[in-house]
Amino acid sequence: MPHITYIEASGQTTTVALPEGWSLMQGATANGIDGILGECGGSCACATCHCYVEESRLGELPPPSENELAMLENVAAERRPGSRLACQIKATATLEGLIVTLPDVQE
Amino acid sequence: MFRFDPYSPLVDADPFPFYKTLRDEHPCFWSEEAGMWVLSRYTDIVAAGNDWETYSSARGNLMTELPGRAGATLGTTDPPRHDRLRGLIQQAFMKRNMESMAEPIRNIARQCAADLQGKKQFEFIGDFSSKFTVRVLFAVLGLPLGDEQTVRDKAVMMVQSDAKTRAKGPEHIAAYNWMQEYAAKVIAERRANPTNDLISQFSMAEIDGDKLDEREVLLTTTTLIMAGIESLGGFMSMFALNMADFADARRQCVANPALLPDAIEESLRFNTSAQRFRRSLQKDVELHGQTMKAGDFVCMAYGSGNRDERQFANPDVYDISRKPRGHLGFGGGVHACLGTAIARLSVKVSFDELHKVIPEYRRVHDKLDWMPSSTFRSPLRLDLTNG
Repeated sequence: MPHITYIEASGQTTTVALPEGWSLMQGATANGIDGILGECGGSCACATCHCYVEESRLGELPPPSENELAMLENVAAERRPGSRLACQIKATATLEGLIVTLPDVQE
Repeated sequence: MFRFDPYSPLVDADPFPFYKTLRDEHPCFWSEEAGMWVLSRYTDIVAAGNDWETYSSARGNLMTELPGRAGATLGTTDPPRHDRLRGLIQQAFMKRNMESMAEPIRNIARQCAADLQGKKQFEFIGDFSSKFTVRVLFAVLGLPLGDEQTVRDKAVMMVQSDAKTRAKGPEHIAAYNWMQEYAAKVIAERRANPTNDLISQFSMAEIDGDKLDEREVLLTTTTLIMAGIESLGGFMSMFALNMADFADARRQCVANPALLPDAIEESLRFNTSAQRFRRSLQKDVELHGQTMKAGDFVCMAYGSGNRDERQFANPDVYDISRKPRGHLGFGGGVHACLGTAIARLSVKVSFDELHKVIPEYRRVHDKLDWMPSSTFRSPLRLDLTNG
């Protein structure tokens, strides 16, 4: 189970061992991490699971789908190069130690 | 010996004690009555929902599936075709595209609530929620007015099943066939006179040069109507029941309607109407010492995952300050409910307006009659006192 570290806007940092196949959004909502809402339940339809992935590791992730790119245009906080939707990133062994930073607003 | 029969009226009435035994003693349980495995723990349900390649929806997602439906709707298709199909309709259901519906929905709610003015007692479903949901759906889909009551009755009938035969009875199939014919008429009309509504767009859309076939257009439209009326109405009656039973929570929401969204989320967790859905296995799976075989059906008991003490502290307590992120009230993953935004908006606005007319209410009967359904759970009628 890869370890994913979430840094909330308040600075609160939580590291979660995430079963492979679970999304980074599910890792946050199932573990009381407040900075992710995930209103649509993970179907890439609401843009309330916006996160910033460390840019040096962006290349290790499968690239965003067309639908995710369209939804990223709707994020409430600033969109940055590392912006992704956490529901579209599935935990795999290669993501061990990944750090994601969460924005201060999601809606 | 423990048994779990999703066709039993006992389970319709109160599945939660059964769920607790399932979670604690039989987390991967073969239900002979249902002819399928039952997953009841939060993490097992989430994991199964994530793994659509193993837990396929292509042989149906309703516990008791309707004939000819599997493979032709969003809920009964696997990626990648599912994702293309969903991409076609998802835009229309997104939160920001729903905002323009807020005022029309509020007007409908206001009119439905005004009809209750002065009544000492009312039947929530017949007198309020069914009128409201059918008018909202007709407004959202741009359906022609006139048939609302029949459409509502058929939508409610088609999701039920017969407790004795453990299958759809002739009356359920007849309702389903009626709904398909109704959908076919609407589709034909829209193709002849397209407007900027969802059904026009959807019935003529192509995905990657790949047009939806007629069965997909028809059954997806049928499912949207069923979900829009029955699922929304079923949840509203559960929410009304919670607001009636937990008077402190209701009074907080009446005093401060901004708390309604929190109460809605807690109700989605606590006793949502969409209790159980089904998948079929594409390969053998070992879980909790059991071997589930390729081809077996598996029930994902969302309503049980939502009461799993391994995930939610004091799960049997209704607590509107809980903010139960990650609940399974709308399912999850690629098949998470398409209508989350409109459902949340509709429930919030309708109760805001209802509470302006009737802020205090209690249920009349301690014991309720529950809909016979292996998938959904809601009362057949809900009599409430005004005051």
